[in-house]
Amino acid sequence: MLFRLNRHNGIPAYRQLIDQIRMGIASGLLRAGEELPSTRSLSAELETNPMTVSKAYNQLEHDGLLLRRPGLSLVVADIETSGAEDPRDAEFRRAAQQLADLAKRLGLSPTRAKRLLGETMSELNEDDQ
Amino acid sequence: MNPFQAETLTKRYGDKLALDRLTLDLPRESVTGLIGRNGSGKTTLIRTIVGLTLPDQGRAQTFGHDVATLGEAELSRIGSVFQSNHHLSWMTVAGQLEFAAAYHPHWDHSRQKRLMEALELAPKDRVGNLSPGNAQKLAVLLAICPRPDLLLLDEPVSALDPIAREELLRFLLEMVREDDTTILISSHVLVDIERVVDRVVCLDRGRLAHESSLDDLLESFEEWQVTSHAPVNSALVDGFREDWILEQRRVGRQAELLVRTGIQSEERRHAFAQAHGVDVQVRPANLERLFPHLVRETVQ
Repeated sequence: MLFRLNRHNGIPAYRQLIDQIRMGIASGLLRAGEELPSTRSLSAELETNPMTVSKAYNQLEHDGLLLRRPGLSLVVADIETSGAEDPRDAEFRRAAQQLADLAKRLGLSPTRAKRLLGETMSELNEDDQ
Repeated sequence: MNPFQAETLTKRYGDKLALDRLTLDLPRESVTGLIGRNGSGKTTLIRTIVGLTLPDQGRAQTFGHDVATLGEAELSRIGSVFQSNHHLSWMTVAGQLEFAAAYHPHWDHSRQKRLMEALELAPKDRVGNLSPGNAQKLAVLLAICPRPDLLLLDEPVSALDPIAREELLRFLLEMVREDDTTILISSHVLVDIERVVDRVVCLDRGRLAHESSLDDLLESFEEWQVTSHAPVNSALVDGFREDWILEQRRVGRQAELLVRTGIQSEERRHAFAQAHGVDVQVRPANLERLFPHLVRETVQ
């Protein structure tokens, strides 16, 4: 999986990395059991401090999304068994929260916002077929 | 043991305090960005670490030795680049490097070659004729190639163009990754060195104004875009008075705030929105905006 850091948006690099790995797991780009690059090689690739990568890995391990096995490289955890929330749900919830905030700023009623979202979703459904 | 540790360091030049009871450690394998305005004590601190300047009071130890008694064993483990460097002006660049390499058993010839190519430094140029930028590059090479355990860089990027700066930062990261080097790098433009740094130390008039990880620093501030529900909002017009608001700028019924985050930030934001009848959009704050506030805080 290809990772990318934006240097100027004020979001700490380790947070950006966490978000991208979460998204990778949620979207299936990173599958259960898949190995992640070592701290050294990923920090070289991203041209960032190794601390950044190890901090992101530690957080994801703590959240149950990555699994550290002694002496072996870090792998994507099997969410079915790890008990963590399905990352797809978590990702979607986050985006939906932004939509809810937008609806509030625009002064749209929840009913109207839900109707608009429903319409968008059904268009998407038709595109799939 | 930390490569450098200092306790209540004080250094006076006449009646000017260059360092004022400074207590600071450089942890192993850390990359510390040392920031502060001109005259804040950055250079004095770096000179103290190598024993070129000795403190009037307090204790400073490099590799566990008092800085007043550093010998060859300790000094050979340190690489340093100062703002003015004195090289042998009659030598060529290649000659100067060869001369220095002879004194360093661990001189990294491969890194020297790659650095010279990356920084576009011509081996046959006379040292005395180098432009300030190229003299800076030579100083960097002389500091990096011996593979030091501790690398001290005083404003190393100030004279470099953006491309050379990027190349230098890339090599610094390689040293952290491959040699576990401890690095202290000073700059008055934090953004320039942001991507190699994991710790930030800010000096203000010789005092420690701020010390934290870069991530903690970024996460302790936010930018808020505040929009009033009502067309007229007296709190917005008069300026918000909460003491965690560091800056505010108002246009019409909107304001942009720079705020310090804290525990229960989210609750505080909701309470703020409710109390003032506003909508709040949150954005991360970037380093350029934070710098003046790091410096200002010690004044209070």
